[in-house]
Amino acid sequence: MADTHKQWLEKLEAESRAKQELFMNDIAAKLRHPRMYEKPQHPFRGAPDFWKAFEWSEDERVKEFTDNFLSVGGHVARLQTMDEAKQFIVDKAEEMSAKYVVRQNQPELTALDLEGSLTDSQVSVWNTDPEQYWRARAAEADFGIVMADHAVAYTGSVTVLSAENKGRSVSLLPAVLIIIIPIERLKTRLGEVLVTFDEAGRGQLPAGIHFISGPSRSSDIENDLTIGVHGPGIVYALLVG
Amino acid sequence: MSAAHKKVQTVKARADLALNDEFLRKAVRFTTERLRNGKKKATEEHGNWEEWRERGRQIRLHTIAHLDYYLNLFVNNARANGVHVHFANTAEEAVKLTLDIAEHAGAKSVVKSKSMVSEELHLNHALESIGVEAVETDLGEYIIQLAGEMPSHIVIPAIHKNRYQIADLLSKEAGYTLPPDTTALAGFVRKKLREKFLEAEIGMTGCNFAIAETGSMVLFENEGNARMVSTVPKTQITLMGMERIIPSWSDLEVMATLLPRSATGQKLTMYMSGITGPRRPEDADGPDEMHIIIIDNGRSLQLGDPEFQELLNCIRCGACLNACPVYRHIGGHAYGSTYSGPIGAVLTPSLNKNIAEWDDVANASSLCGACYEACPVKIPLHDMLVYLRRRKVESGNGNKLESIGMQGFATIMGNSSRLGGMLRLGKLGQKLVVRSGVIKTKLGPLKGWNTYRVTPSLPKESFRDRWETLDQELKQGLKQMDSSMQNRMEELVRKREQEQKEGKGGHGHG
Repeated sequence: MADTHKQWLEKLEAESRAKQELFMNDIAAKLRHPRMYEKPQHPFRGAPDFWKAFEWSEDERVKEFTDNFLSVGGHVARLQTMDEAKQFIVDKAEEMSAKYVVRQNQPELTALDLEGSLTDSQVSVWNTDPEQYWRARAAEADFGIVMADHAVAYTGSVTVLSAENKGRSVSLLPAVLIIIIPIERLKTRLGEVLVTFDEAGRGQLPAGIHFISGPSRSSDIENDLTIGVHGPGIVYALLVG
Repeated sequence: MSAAHKKVQTVKARADLALNDEFLRKAVRFTTERLRNGKKKATEEHGNWEEWRERGRQIRLHTIAHLDYYLNLFVNNARANGVHVHFANTAEEAVKLTLDIAEHAGAKSVVKSKSMVSEELHLNHALESIGVEAVETDLGEYIIQLAGEMPSHIVIPAIHKNRYQIADLLSKEAGYTLPPDTTALAGFVRKKLREKFLEAEIGMTGCNFAIAETGSMVLFENEGNARMVSTVPKTQITLMGMERIIPSWSDLEVMATLLPRSATGQKLTMYMSGITGPRRPEDADGPDEMHIIIIDNGRSLQLGDPEFQELLNCIRCGACLNACPVYRHIGGHAYGSTYSGPIGAVLTPSLNKNIAEWDDVANASSLCGACYEACPVKIPLHDMLVYLRRRKVESGNGNKLESIGMQGFATIMGNSSRLGGMLRLGKLGQKLVVRSGVIKTKLGPLKGWNTYRVTPSLPKESFRDRWETLDQELKQGLKQMDSSMQNRMEELVRKREQEQKEGKGGHGHG
């Protein structure tokens, strides 16, 4: 390998750009129209109209989210305040003797002062030390603690977005995942969350957008349901507010 | 697994093997039944399923009809996100690109999440040829990789293995004996693959959907391994069929409504991830370098073909497999190709453009249309199977004996005295083979039919023989119809017409 990595990537890109034109021209020719450069009319964009008008009340959203999350083997707690959420986490950590805890570096979580309260656990805060190999910190953790960016009642899903202070690994690698969902972030339909990404536009999207609808599962061995195959096997959704 | 292997055998021969495998048959039937019932329940619960199907179809039709625009938009946006995008016209080009990337990443191992495109490319073998270990991380895929087999179902790849066989395979890998217990087996795989995820230099994924307007790729999964593969290793390679595009995130709501419900009856898979480029410089996880390889490999041959373009609408849910009475009996391996079931029977010859070689998979269907009914984007698979059979005959690859037979049939049926003569001959000839009113012999052309059934004998007096008498009786009967009866009937007809005008009563069956 005489070329540097950068030169090699540049070479690939030049090849790719040349091929892109041929590729698209070939598609247009086969479709028997001239190359299209203008955005076509798309009259069927998104869900049918009757669906876009569908909305549940907050009580219904809480009930439906809870039913859905429980039905796939997740756990839900309905809490009034962040203090209650803190107490829930402290109790769970004690009950399950969590040794290592990793949490996102979000202000709402910082305010819980878990580092001060979880005296028997070692709590790491995501990406606070550039020297750390953070993926390994998340992989060894018993608990991962995150704030939800959005949640969807109809499918029983929670959305987490990646950022400097929000690792993708924190909701993925620990054995137990605890997600705090401020109640006002709980929407009725999936589309209410998805449309925000269209509105934000390409440049504003994070690298990772993850919808989580319960514990990791598989039915690959004799159709027998197994929980916690790769991702967290125990997931708590704490609805707060 | 190899090409040679599948050339030796026909679908019929492979299906005979499958039909003799009691466990396989039961497992396939049980699994397809479970998935089918799950889908039925989920779609009924969701409601307005036909409207959703139609919307899904329209979005896919629109995107494919403007594929040059949307794919180009996707590519430009993905590049702007920092993704290295590549194009591969053939499987060989895609393999070459992958190996080039693996070599430059100095990779010793690659962890892969489930990808049907990767199965198309037979990539694992190629990676191993340059000394790179390829590890399938989906539980079912990992099992069949250890067994050295192909997936037998698009959603549940190891459908054909029982827990004892799986325990044997995993015990060999572990170096100690594992009990045939699902939790223990899955637990071993979790631990084993955790090490692999953290060691591997490259993570490899497929792509369920690619969003043109933001250059994002979307993955649906239940285990979390696709997230692992796209989060932990330094380099990510995504293999993407050129037709995976949808315009926007809003359109994803429709696909996310159709795909999991049709595949497994879930409201949503446990994980749905939208990945937009490699990790940002300030992020502490996600790949440093991300490649997307856009693959044609026969797909573009369907573009502009009025009979097959809709094939590109497929969202790979597997609902047609679960609905197909043939698949449910013979399982996936009998199709001898990457894609099985009704979609495989059409996709395989279409992608390969060699109808002759794959002709017999198009015959592995009863044309009952259950696949179309099950399809969440309404692909008329049963029509396509007929088109394929027609093309096969037109291209001169038809069955010679069948052609001669059909010509003979036409000659005889085209002339009534010829038919009469043949039937008289048949009545004489059948005396040799009829036993207690039926024909059971498996000689010659009767073998296929009589293996599982009996052929009825020609009757002493046929409908044709009786026709003249019947005809006369009928003519007389009509003439002699009682006039009061005729009046009553005419009255009934008038009354019904009146009711229909007033909007009362249904059409037809009353």
